[in-house]
Amino acid sequence: MTNERTPLVSVRNLATYFFTREGIVKAVDGVSFDVNSGRTLGVVGESGCGKSVTAMSILRIVAEPGRVVEGEILLRRVNGDGQELFVDLAQLDARGKEIRNIRGGDIAVVFQEPMTSLSPVHTIGNQIIEAIQLHNDVSADEARRRTIELLHSVGIPDPERRVDAYSFQLSGGLRQRAVIAMALSCNPEVLIADEPTTALDVTTQAQILELLRDLQEERGMAILLITHNLGVIAEMADEVVVMYLGLIAERGRVDDIFHAPKHPYTKALLASIPSIDSEPRVRLPTITGSIPHPYNRPAGCPFHPRCPSYMEGVCEEREPNAVSMGNGQEVSCFLYKGA
Amino acid sequence: MQEQVTDEQVLLDVRGLRKFFPIRAGMMRNVQGFVRAVDDVSFQVKNGETISLVGESGCGKTTTARCILRAYEPTAGELLFRAGDSGVVDLAKLSLKELKPLRRQVQMIFQDPFSSLNPRMTLLNIIGEPLVVNKVAKGDELRDRVAELMRLVGLRPEFMQRYPHAFSGGQRQRIGIARALALNPVLIVADEPVSALDVSVQAQILNLLLDLQEQLGLTLIFVAHDLSVVKHISERVAVMYVGKIVEIAETTALFDTPLHPYTEALMLAVPQPDPRLRSRRAALQGDVADPSNPPPGCYFHPRCKYAIERCETEPTQLLELEPGHFVSCHRAEELDLAGVTGGAAA
Repeated sequence: MTNERTPLVSVRNLATYFFTREGIVKAVDGVSFDVNSGRTLGVVGESGCGKSVTAMSILRIVAEPGRVVEGEILLRRVNGDGQELFVDLAQLDARGKEIRNIRGGDIAVVFQEPMTSLSPVHTIGNQIIEAIQLHNDVSADEARRRTIELLHSVGIPDPERRVDAYSFQLSGGLRQRAVIAMALSCNPEVLIADEPTTALDVTTQAQILELLRDLQEERGMAILLITHNLGVIAEMADEVVVMYLGLIAERGRVDDIFHAPKHPYTKALLASIPSIDSEPRVRLPTITGSIPHPYNRPAGCPFHPRCPSYMEGVCEEREPNAVSMGNGQEVSCFLYKGA
Repeated sequence: MQEQVTDEQVLLDVRGLRKFFPIRAGMMRNVQGFVRAVDDVSFQVKNGETISLVGESGCGKTTTARCILRAYEPTAGELLFRAGDSGVVDLAKLSLKELKPLRRQVQMIFQDPFSSLNPRMTLLNIIGEPLVVNKVAKGDELRDRVAELMRLVGLRPEFMQRYPHAFSGGQRQRIGIARALALNPVLIVADEPVSALDVSVQAQILNLLLDLQEQLGLTLIFVAHDLSVVKHISERVAVMYVGKIVEIAETTALFDTPLHPYTEALMLAVPQPDPRLRSRRAALQGDVADPSNPPPGCYFHPRCKYAIERCETEPTQLLELEPGHFVSCHRAEELDLAGVTGGAAA
């Protein structure tokens, strides 16, 4: 019996740096969060905030010259005797057997661009059958039968025929469904979805989000949803982590993040998105300046050069600590006592 | 609608625009069929307004924009443009030579600020190129004009000698806007100008476009897929589906009382940045129709939850149901569709 209270994945103080010739890029620099069964954790942020590198760090697929330099990534697993144990993914050999079993097995991933995450020279069926046979000891016929079942469960019409289709023969929405079917092929506990709908049209996006929600309800898996789209976060997430330049600015329950944001960055981000409910042709409040290159991350609170609440002599001195606001909401900002 | 060319208010009158792309196959590259990317599109652009073309990928919005610029040769139709002193001309019929002086008046802003700027040219050369090509300015005069343009879009003129790589996405989009403004155009076609930008930068560029339009009296054709952005920037909106305009109206009318089921579905599909509004989604099923082999009758009927028998056979026509509100649906008059404000209150 697994304890529902202990998180499925617990990321503690994760730091991933890229050691480039120009210097060290601290893409992720001390990030902590928990992913729970049956829940969706949304990670939101703009380009360069480290949200994708965080996901790649969990799977240990950060490419050279990047490296996980610090922190723990604890995955809860159940061994043969039904006992709970924790594996620290950060300590595993990134090319080792254990992480390869976990990738695609315990933790699966869906990427942004369905065209590039599928092979153009293999049928989608072959690609899913390969994944199933890699992680399970089943016959080819059985794997094919499961594949057709999977394609059916992700809403691909006519799966008996589509299993032999190539990715270029499918529309963008069907392709992303095929990628999701592949991710689900080994019944993962955790699904990492990195911008799963960014390349899709709004109507297709709505279909895919609905599918992810239904699948989560059926299977009780945890979803780590990474996106820049606050609308998608509001639609899907239970808890939200807001990142800026490799650090967590704020995190909390989705309703608190959208209705009681505490960090000036979260507030400004929410104010600056045009809403379909707003008046036409009114100027939007903006965040001044642009996102600095992660290589030149400002000292102290990274948001201070753009922050409307900037306090001289405070914000640039050191990085703020996370302050608890109750209900699991935490904010890293000097406006709050204890930062 | 025919008489309104004489209307001084109309800057561009698009009539029956068609653009078909041939599908070639086989050894002899014979034409096997046509992708009807734009199929009988008519609309008017009034002086000083912003009109948006919105729809899913493949709906023909970009092709329409490119035909107006004559980046594509239209297959059929008229593009009646009020060209300053020379009266009304049909852009679709002009030879390239005749078109050249008019190109100054119609300029384009591109989607991707990374691929639309030459990385080996300085800002002075990029923004100044239209001025040099058209022999408008050179030397000190050119530098002054480029500096003025850079200030206009919120860039510091000191950076004139720098290359695009030194600038962020939002700043690069400003460079593209400055280049488009160099020749004092009257009409600007902006194709997804903010969709490649970060959220916090998107708002800056939208505000800049609103300001510039006010200052310079520009007319803007805005092509986008994001309805929130479209609502924010436009005075009128044309919704396109598989090469045709299905609904066109003033922005508030379209968003408050949509008359076409596709418009309603499109608006419902936009994820709201408010977790308390989650329940109102009802995803549109199926995929966009194939523009080389569209279904009979109304192109939208296979996905439409209101479709009746008539929709499967009889093609629809764009009709003016309310003043200035055109819709192409057999059941537009009887349906009571949910607008944005109605949906948000529920």
